[in-house]
Amino acid sequence: MARMKFLCDSERCVECNACVTACKNEHEVPWGINRRRVVTLNDGQKGERSISMACMHCEDAPCMAVCPVDCFYKTDDGVVLHSKDLCIGCGYCFYACPFGAPQYPQVGNFGSRGKMDKCTFCAGGPEADNTKEEYAKYGANRLAEGKLPLCAEMCSTKALLAGDGDVIADIYKQRVARRGYGSGAWGWATAYKTGSSA
Amino acid sequence: MTNSYNDIHNSKAIMIMGGNPAEAHPVSMQHVLRGKEQNKAPLIVVDPRFTRTAAHATEYVRIRPGTDIPFMWGLLWHIFENGWEDKEYIRQRVYGMDEIRAEVKKWNPQEVERVVGVPGEQMKRVAELMAKNRPGTLIWCMGVTQHSMGTANVRALSVFQLALGNIGVEGGGANIFRGHCNVQGCTDLGLDVTTLPAYYGLTEGAWRHWSRVWDVDYAWMQSRFESKKMMETKGIPSTRWFDAVLVDKKDLEQNDNVKAMFFWGHGGNTVPRMPEMRTGMEKVELLVVVDPHPTTAAALPDRKDGTYLLPACTQLETRGSRTASNRSLQWGDQIVKPVFESKPDHWILYKLAKKLGFEKEMFKNIKIDEGDEPNVEDILREINRGTISIGYSGQSPERLKEHMKHQADFDIVSLRATKGPLKGEFYGLPWPCWGTPEMKHPGTHVLYNTHLPVKDGGGAFRARFGVERNGVSLLADGSYPKDSEIKDGHPEFTYGLLKKMGWDKELTDAERATIERIGGNNPDGVGWAIDLSCGIIRVTMAHGVQAMGNAKARAVAFGLPDPVPVHREPIYTPRRDLVEKYPAMADRRDYRLPHLGKSIQDKDFSKDFPMILTTGRLVEYEGGGEETRSNKWLAELQQSMFVEINPADASRLGIKDGQDVWVHGPENKAKARVKALVTQRVGQGVVFMPFHFSGFWQGVDQRAKYPPGADPIVLGESANGVTSYGYDPVTHMHENKATLCRVEAA
Ligand code: SF4
Ligand code: SF4
Repeated sequence: MARMKFLCDSERCVECNACVTACKNEHEVPWGINRRRVVTLNDGQKGERSISMACMHCEDAPCMAVCPVDCFYKTDDGVVLHSKDLCIGCGYCFYACPFGAPQYPQVGNFGSRGKMDKCTFCAGGPEADNTKEEYAKYGANRLAEGKLPLCAEMCSTKALLAGDGDVIADIYKQRVARRGYGSGAWGWATAYKTGSSA
Repeated sequence: MTNSYNDIHNSKAIMIMGGNPAEAHPVSMQHVLRGKEQNKAPLIVVDPRFTRTAAHATEYVRIRPGTDIPFMWGLLWHIFENGWEDKEYIRQRVYGMDEIRAEVKKWNPQEVERVVGVPGEQMKRVAELMAKNRPGTLIWCMGVTQHSMGTANVRALSVFQLALGNIGVEGGGANIFRGHCNVQGCTDLGLDVTTLPAYYGLTEGAWRHWSRVWDVDYAWMQSRFESKKMMETKGIPSTRWFDAVLVDKKDLEQNDNVKAMFFWGHGGNTVPRMPEMRTGMEKVELLVVVDPHPTTAAALPDRKDGTYLLPACTQLETRGSRTASNRSLQWGDQIVKPVFESKPDHWILYKLAKKLGFEKEMFKNIKIDEGDEPNVEDILREINRGTISIGYSGQSPERLKEHMKHQADFDIVSLRATKGPLKGEFYGLPWPCWGTPEMKHPGTHVLYNTHLPVKDGGGAFRARFGVERNGVSLLADGSYPKDSEIKDGHPEFTYGLLKKMGWDKELTDAERATIERIGGNNPDGVGWAIDLSCGIIRVTMAHGVQAMGNAKARAVAFGLPDPVPVHREPIYTPRRDLVEKYPAMADRRDYRLPHLGKSIQDKDFSKDFPMILTTGRLVEYEGGGEETRSNKWLAELQQSMFVEINPADASRLGIKDGQDVWVHGPENKAKARVKALVTQRVGQGVVFMPFHFSGFWQGVDQRAKYPPGADPIVLGESANGVTSYGYDPVTHMHENKATLCRVEAA
């Protein structure tokens, strides 16, 4: 089984938000919730760089460790998913996540934030694959159809890569070798402790 | 575009000027960044704004808006000074470079820094990067063209590439990234008011050619017009239609003011002077909007009657050929059935022609399919029959469909099919694809490329402007396409010249009969571009010769205003110290209208309107923006109209990031209320506004004026609500990259 990973090459990302738009459209993510977003550093200045961010599907996922109701699980592909039926909207995973991935439909000082939502690597949830029920709660399950996440498939510049961690690390290494420089695969050291050499 | 996006993979240097593809053409950046990475090509971005494209540059050059020519001449100054130009290329293939040299001499580093604002060392560095990394591509967009000096700007950029020998080679080129789906096709097929389709012009010869193609009687065609003179007079461009409604009749070169306006796929908010446009919209008797969305034109004017909204399909709801930026054609299938009651453009056109009583002539050779839809295959076949001049003749529907089917066989850099039944052809048969479909020309990936035979996609500069001028030859000197039997420059081919060469015997009887029928009592005068048999093309090509001749490219464009491009200050400029030395063009007339320049520039607006205003695009929205602002995913990403302002200016004016400000324009008490975005993207003294918004007018929400349910999610003030006068003398392209404004906290 391949170990699925995301990689965003900031030398390529042009902050076009195609990945964000593809994600929202594919999963019908409501206004105000972003499973993926583009973060820009030094906006409008020399050294401006953007990276597209979503759940990285960490190796030792901190969200999984802190969840009081144990709603997270990991697929054979290394994708971190969760059950919205179990989620109580406590927000612990949000605080634990180094990437700010978990999102909540309501934000308030009191009570529940609603069911947590985050990137599924286009792999749906615990319901049977590609059912209406699964789509309503988690969006499309492209992995079950043999397809890769749509954000990366639609990336304008191939900055965002998704797939077998070894394959995308190789693609990235070749790019860095050709360029003669590289700012590193952003977030890899944090998310994937082993095999994070890219 | 002389080359293609893909060909940028071959570039050793990439210069992007007046374009922000990271936002306007994100996918193109894949090719730009690959060129940069694979060839370690310097990526030079020249723009008044530090754009998202500039963020990826190895060298960013900030110029003052409206100083493109001095910038180019400033680079050429270093190139000529150091002898870095391609002397042999210029000798063989360029006319008039010495006159350019004389103008360039004036643009020494001090004067360039004074006018453009770029220091001498940077100019020298950029010149050297371009000179020493060849082939290099020069990419530009509307930041170069949408100026009152747009045509001269474009020519200066082209001359720069000619001086370096960068035209007609892989990895080089003058590459203008076109915008939306099929805009290149629209341009080619006569959206331009100066010409019939395929740049034939408006002369009697052009009308007779097209009447033959359309299979209608020339006399009948002429009878449709008020006079032969009007038939051959340039029309009024979309940038200025409202002037034709509003000016005094005596200032108009037609019998009356414009009384009706059709907005067909045109937002309205994309061109300047909207306060006057709004008056024009209110004054016309009939206003028709043909669009998938109601657009600004439907919501801006205060009018109750005589307005019609005709819902048109998007390209995804219809099918047919579309021409891409690089001149490749693709066949598009219908993806979804038209939503609601919307109809394809050609359906609407057919119905309109029917009402007006000339559908029989207009659709004579076009089958009308079920549901009254003209057959799109037949439409392309008609295009194939007539657009010989630019080689749109070989791309039959059948060939294009084959290309779609075998996409996987094409190489993504060379665009050539490397295997399969189409082996050797270029993807989408980029024009020119010479002759008839049966001649199987592969299309032309790189224009004017002498390294390939004509029949294999090679070519040379066209001999379009005669053979000599003031005793100097305009024809190429010892340069010719590979395998050409004529080893030198030569004029365009006519039947007469074919005879002189003794090649006329190679024509088939049918081809000769067609030529003789077209020629009447002067068959020798029939040129290759009106030879409907394409026999002249076929025979010359067999001899390795390009029927359109083999000439030099004109660095000096005699016949145009400023044959050698010279700097002229924008008509609204804050640099009063430069106006005397670099004045705007004197007031003149063109396109049936008065055309002002100097008389506006003579007035000093810079006291009340001290900031330079420039406009441009955002990645989230497209054109007038109604369609994209109605898309919930995109609307969420960009929720309010804004103006970018430098932190130093903002603090001087007491403006905080995110607060509302008024932007005032210099004409007609124009103003817009927008959010301030305080950023170093813009330099001091310059502000930037995106132009995709509408639905707010001078601070007032217009949402209630949209038909119920058809209002876009995001509304905002239009940048062109405050932009001003200014038109290019050749095309009347509008100026919305360099004007003046005043910004105040609201
Ligand atoms: S990125 Fe955040 S949400 Fe995703 S697996 Fe890691 S800790 Fe969990
Ligand atoms: S689509 Fe690609 S280039 Fe565009 S923002 Fe996302 S990661 Fe960056």
